[in-house]
Amino acid sequence: MPALDYPAPIRELILQMKSLPGIGQRSAERLVLWMMGRGHARAAELARALVQLEQRVGICSECGFFIERDSACGLCESDKRQKTVLCVVEQAADVLRLERSGAFSGLYHVLGGRLSPLDNITPSDLRIRELAARVPALGVEEVILALSADVEGEATSNYLADSLRPLGVKVTRLAQGMPAGGGLDHVDEMTLHHALSGRRAM
Amino acid sequence: MEKNGQGKTSLLEAACVLMRLQSPRTSTRSDLIRFGAQACVTEGAVGGRKLRVAQSPTARRVAVNDSVCPRAGDYLMQSARVVWMDHSDMNLARGGAEHRRRYLDFAAAQLFPEYLNALKSYERALRSRNFLLKRDAAISWRQVDAYGRILAEHGAVIRRCREDLIQRVQEPVTAAHLGLSAGAEPGAVSYLPGYPGENLEAALLEVRDSEARLRTTQVGVHRDDLALTIHGRPAGAFASEGQQRTLCLALKLAQARVLEEAQGEPPLLLIDDIFGELDKTRRQALLAYLPAHGQKVITTTFTDWASETGVGGLVYEVEDGQLKERGI
Ligand SMILES: [Zn+2]
Repeated sequence: MPALDYPAPIRELILQMKSLPGIGQRSAERLVLWMMGRGHARAAELARALVQLEQRVGICSECGFFIERDSACGLCESDKRQKTVLCVVEQAADVLRLERSGAFSGLYHVLGGRLSPLDNITPSDLRIRELAARVPALGVEEVILALSADVEGEATSNYLADSLRPLGVKVTRLAQGMPAGGGLDHVDEMTLHHALSGRRAM
Repeated sequence: MEKNGQGKTSLLEAACVLMRLQSPRTSTRSDLIRFGAQACVTEGAVGGRKLRVAQSPTARRVAVNDSVCPRAGDYLMQSARVVWMDHSDMNLARGGAEHRRRYLDFAAAQLFPEYLNALKSYERALRSRNFLLKRDAAISWRQVDAYGRILAEHGAVIRRCREDLIQRVQEPVTAAHLGLSAGAEPGAVSYLPGYPGENLEAALLEVRDSEARLRTTQVGVHRDDLALTIHGRPAGAFASEGQQRTLCLALKLAQARVLEEAQGEPPLLLIDDIFGELDKTRRQALLAYLPAHGQKVITTTFTDWASETGVGGLVYEVEDGQLKERGI
């Protein structure tokens, strides 16, 4: 007789949960059992939310931030934003962090990560070609690089600065004061505000 | 004292890890965990503070006076400085340059708060740069140069610290060497930078052709070395084994002097099994030259020399991994 285990659908969901960042076997089990509470009502709610995520959320082909599918990008299409300054960030969450700091009113460009040859992440894995196309198309005068202050972030900044220089655009980066080794998620809004206003040319 | 293989070196190593969060012999932390064990906890007291290091195969937690330090740098500031001496110090004179760079790193990391971060970033950027040089048939220089600039930035910090360290160490090395060799042999040390000029980025541009051919980073602080001389001649090639041993001891004693001057108190000396291999004259000279104040932990397999030289202090015996106090 085989050893007793959960039915297959539960095992499958536990496997899915375990693939999420920061979730181990025991947390995965706990989450799945919680979802089966209230006569599977929680599972149904979660399933609905996941379907919505897949069906309704898209990515702006310009800036790379999230949009509701088939609607205009609240950032790129806004006429209140300064179109001659472009701020490059690693991930979508960084856009919100900078927005909350209130220090920036230009456009954003989400890179989708940073260069890391040892992890096999090359320039073609990032939205660098899109960036090089947007700069002349929008008539951008300054590109602000707001990437992490660790080795990979710095290397990506250096690479972007070298790639953008031939386009004749001014390239700056966040001021020192950013914690060494940290990304934007380690910084409070005040520090971010200072780092933006004290940015320096590359 | 102990019969061999009973764990006295592990005891000293544990003290070293507790103070500096690094072993004198390994760079990977999990090596410290007893084979088959899950984790390792080390505790001790220094200068009235209680230190604690808990190490699992994946994570390390450190605490001072029972409060956790999220940043290793803060912990290291509150801990003691350490000088480690063992038989492998001979490699300073006889071994490859990596042994001399490890000497620089171990001391500079304790003298300059900015050193360790610069070194880690430099090594990380160097790994990526070398990988990029090897990976593609046609090298992507724009990517390679993105890392070269990082090497230049951190390399400048590392060079400045190493230069400063060697400047401080030079005089005490010569003094200690004269003391240990009874005034007969002038020994000296100097710094040999691993790239020409002031700017590593410019130096890297100069060697582009050879990097394209050899596919690895040709200049930088990872190529730094020390020149050790006795009577003005390279110690590695021209000195006798005894002379080399004396010079290597002098390098470590000088490290202790420099740390003491910077810190205002002598470092903890961890001396693993070196007295047995010295002759009586050098042994006595070494004992006389050790900092008079400050704690010294000395291991040995036999104690005859200790009674002969009249060394004081407490004696413990290690047997089957257990520690017992014992009269001398
Ligand atoms: Zn957009």
